[in-house]
Amino acid sequence: MKRRNFLKTTGLAAAGVIAAPYILPSGRLFAASGNRKANHVVFCLFAGGVRNFESIQKAEGNIMPNMLVGNESITPDIAGAIPNLPVGGQRLQTQGTLFKEFRYAQGPTGHYNGHTTAITGRYNDVDLNLKSNPDYPTVFELYRKHNSPGQTALNAWWVSNQLGPYPALNYSKFPGYGADYGANYIQPTTMFDPNIGTVMGNPKQFSQAELGKASGYRDFLNNNFANQYAPGDAGVVNTAEDNYNLQQFLKQTYTDVSQGVLNNPWGIGAQNMNGDCYNILFAEKIIQQYKPELMVVNMQGVDIAHTNFTAYCANMRIADYAVWHLWQTIQSTPGMANDTILIIAPEHGRNLQANSIVDAYGRYALDHTSDQKSREIFCMVVGPPSVVNQNQVISAVQGESIDIVPTIADILGFASEIPGEATLPGSTLQAAFV
Amino acid sequence: MLDYNMKKLLKYSLLLVSVTLLFTACKKEYLFGVDDVDVVQNSASKNNVKTTTEFVSIAYSDIYGSTIPQVYLTKLSLAYLAFGDKKLVEDIIIKNMLAAPGVQLPTQQAMLADVDLFVNNTYKKFYNRTPGEFELWKMKQLIQADQTITPELIYYAFLTSDEYRYY
Repeated sequence: MKRRNFLKTTGLAAAGVIAAPYILPSGRLFAASGNRKANHVVFCLFAGGVRNFESIQKAEGNIMPNMLVGNESITPDIAGAIPNLPVGGQRLQTQGTLFKEFRYAQGPTGHYNGHTTAITGRYNDVDLNLKSNPDYPTVFELYRKHNSPGQTALNAWWVSNQLGPYPALNYSKFPGYGADYGANYIQPTTMFDPNIGTVMGNPKQFSQAELGKASGYRDFLNNNFANQYAPGDAGVVNTAEDNYNLQQFLKQTYTDVSQGVLNNPWGIGAQNMNGDCYNILFAEKIIQQYKPELMVVNMQGVDIAHTNFTAYCANMRIADYAVWHLWQTIQSTPGMANDTILIIAPEHGRNLQANSIVDAYGRYALDHTSDQKSREIFCMVVGPPSVVNQNQVISAVQGESIDIVPTIADILGFASEIPGEATLPGSTLQAAFV
Repeated sequence: MLDYNMKKLLKYSLLLVSVTLLFTACKKEYLFGVDDVDVVQNSASKNNVKTTTEFVSIAYSDIYGSTIPQVYLTKLSLAYLAFGDKKLVEDIIIKNMLAAPGVQLPTQQAMLADVDLFVNNTYKKFYNRTPGEFELWKMKQLIQADQTITPELIYYAFLTSDEYRYY
């Protein structure tokens, strides 16, 4: 009898030991393939070409007071053109690690090249086909294919501030990856433009029962048709449940836009609420609605530097506020608060030498044509103190653009699952983590 | 002499009549005509995915019976670009078209009065073909089994089906 009890107790204990890792506090049924540092990553491409002089080196004063420590005043001749936006609480720099000498080491310093490198973790040394998906897997595909358990597209988002080639960055054409593992892509300021809302914002509202009936007919029709969409013909695909959920979300957002709810949502004045702010705002809506495990969102307002240096600084100030607002939203969203790592980095810098265009303040404009200065950027990793080293500044040259994707893979615990053919050339930014 | 002349006259007369007959008798009257033929496409031969512009334009014409305005087309093309799940975008586009005024829909009464006609017309309208025997039978069965089904829901199913996306 004792032996039987012993075997029973031992068996239960052994089962418990085996089962325990699969029942997580977050409610996940199974543990991810590897150990996770956090369950959510938001990668904010502070893009458009940001030079270290004006950002972390504060050559014009601290233009990014929500991100960077310091109260250096703005250079007097342009101070009047810099928006007087709120500076809220604890600077992001103190909540994480700042790599002051990060590098975009190879490839043309073009916006799309920089974005592609940031999202695929590979430099692009050749001209990119702007109408084509990237050659190598994006971070979204790596996550959706190799994370265990696999997640739907509702957990991976690419929120971009403009169209052009950027929609193509939600999945690659790499064999074995592609649209099946892609992210949901949205360009919010186009999607929710009031003009677009006139043709997209008032859909027929079928009841669930009606949709079920229509689905029955559609299934019959589809079963009698031989052809099927090839992967990628219709972009990324959401499950039926997620599709319904997304349509409700889009409908509500169109309603909010048409009712003026989003005219000045942050209370900073419509004149300061630029495209970057709206892109971050809609990213926040997605965060609040879906709590995605992986999101990449960008800003590019600073690219006005090609023709207007002072406006470049002004937009950098606005972008600083937008990132701060994004972090506050993350930290106030149950499920993401204290379980999210925010990575912030420009896609590339700007030239040392100015061009010949002078703005109203007598300042010369800046291009980005692959000189050394245009390869010098910064990177900030912000997160919970138990995971991310707080208030740490790394001043030595350390870290590259191609390190961000492996870092995300490491945070979300699937780095070791990436197979040989998709091996990433970069390294995890270990110095940022406890 | 008279006999000779008469013979000669008769000879020429016969020659004239023969020539006349030759030319008139060989002249045929041709009447060309074309019988009404339905030019339809078999579903098996639809191998090409419509472009987004084609899809939106054709759907608009099928729903409203008129050509899509350029401004409308431009807006929808932008919406297509701005969201990654194209099937989802198409679903929203179709739902918006069905919700707007001017949709050309048969009444439910007309549909139920002649289900055969409704099914045939719907296949021709959206698929440019007639239904197969099984398709006709099955569609009739589905419609007659549920008196609450509306032409709008059936149109919605056709417009969002795979075959409608191909040509």
